[in-house]
Amino acid sequence: MSSDTVISIKNVKRCYRMGGEQVWALDGVDLDIQRGEYISIMGPSGSGKSTLFNMIGGLDLPSEGEVTIDGAFLTKMNQKQLAYIRCRKIGYIFQTFNLIEVMSALENVMLPIIFSGASDEEAKSKAIGILDKVGLSGRYDHRPSQLSGGQQQRVAVARALANTPAILLADEPTGNLDLKTGEDLIRTLQKLKDDLGVTVITATHDNKMLAASDRVIYLEAGKIIDIKTKEHLSFSFGKIG
Amino acid sequence: MKTENEIMEIESLPLGKIISITCKGIKIRIWRSLIVVSGIVLAIAFLSYILCSDGFAQNVSKAAGSIVEQGSPEKIQELKDQRVQTYWMVGLAILISFVGIVNAMLMSVTERFREIGTMKCLGAIDSFVLKMFLIESVIEGVIGALLGVLAGILIAYVEGVFTYGSGVWSLLPLAWLLGVVAFSFVTGVIITVVAALYPAREASKMMPVVALRAEL
Ligand SMILES: Nc1ncnc2c1ncn2[C@@H]1O[C@H](COP(=O)(O)OP(=O)(O)O)[C@@H](O)[C@H]1O
Ligand SMILES: [Mg+2]
Repeated sequence: MSSDTVISIKNVKRCYRMGGEQVWALDGVDLDIQRGEYISIMGPSGSGKSTLFNMIGGLDLPSEGEVTIDGAFLTKMNQKQLAYIRCRKIGYIFQTFNLIEVMSALENVMLPIIFSGASDEEAKSKAIGILDKVGLSGRYDHRPSQLSGGQQQRVAVARALANTPAILLADEPTGNLDLKTGEDLIRTLQKLKDDLGVTVITATHDNKMLAASDRVIYLEAGKIIDIKTKEHLSFSFGKIG
Repeated sequence: MKTENEIMEIESLPLGKIISITCKGIKIRIWRSLIVVSGIVLAIAFLSYILCSDGFAQNVSKAAGSIVEQGSPEKIQELKDQRVQTYWMVGLAILISFVGIVNAMLMSVTERFREIGTMKCLGAIDSFVLKMFLIESVIEGVIGALLGVLAGILIAYVEGVFTYGSGVWSLLPLAWLLGVVAFSFVTGVIITVVAALYPAREASKMMPVVALRAEL
């Protein structure tokens, strides 16, 4: 593990029991992710992208193997430590956004700030600042259901950035959006990486979303079958395009 | 490199903040909350109605007993049977209340699994989720039990006017009536909180991904 490794995944397996059958959603994954890297996890539906996303994000625990963040074992943390990591270190963007329906855009963005221990006033002014930055000023009091898909996603992005996380996890964030909105998001993620050194990890099954990646991890049936670096990628794109 | 000991833990939110978040949620989900509350009202109205009518019956037979003086053994047996029957009715009323309220609570927790999962992704700890549901149940329990007691006693007295005539108003000693109110109210609140405890505990312990996956 190099000194600048932020996430280290060692022989991670995740088994689901379906009736009497065992499904290995992840079947021995090893991966080190460097600070400030932009990683895309590429693979067909059902290949285990979301499962890996959940492991890295501390949203689920592996059946076997270890995941460390900044050298600390996720598998050995208590729930308050996991909550700290989820709140302060990682920002999540889900395919379905997972905005809280009964809360306004502003309240959605305020929530992780409040969980981090900030006062309501602090949380409010911070959340307003972020919503303005993603172009949602004047939409503070709208409920998710009163916003378009693209706007909902911007709320989701704002919420993920609320506590200025070092790691941004995005699971097929462009899956529910049209191409242009999807490209906007990729550009936003890339800018976060370039300007703030945020480590970005996205899952996708869409080749068009790979352009910003430093590395692409190809996943199939719960195993890494290939890893391509940026140079290699642009080469192959050049050939095809 | 950091060791496990250095990993920070998140601080619990102050109770006041959890209460204010919970109250906002109740307000926004007012119809859902009203359904739960109405379940409690019904259950506790039934309980306090039974207790109150039983009070009428007991006090009437007491009065009757003093007129007849040492009643026949059959009469005493009949009164005893009546008491046993009433205990059964009260027990049944509490059971029905409990089942109804458990059901309402289960529904209101399970339909919020996704929200719980999302909150956990954003840094909610188990006790936050637990407290949120318990606070909600206390509020709903207090309001529901209060309205239920009022409704039950009102119905018992309206019925009592038909059965015992206008004498019903002085039939129950005040202390007895207050006893019925207190017992029904406390039972209502306790049942509601106990009913919320199990689903809330289960929900609070879920890994975020389990809660997010739950489809209903
Ligand atoms: N909670 C679960 N229960 C049972 N099987 C699951 C569960 N989650 C995922 N799986 C299975 O694990 C495999 C990988 O799923 P997933 O990680 O969601 O893939 P992807 O995100 O790449 O589409 C699939 O075969 C899926 O059916
Ligand atoms: Mg997926």
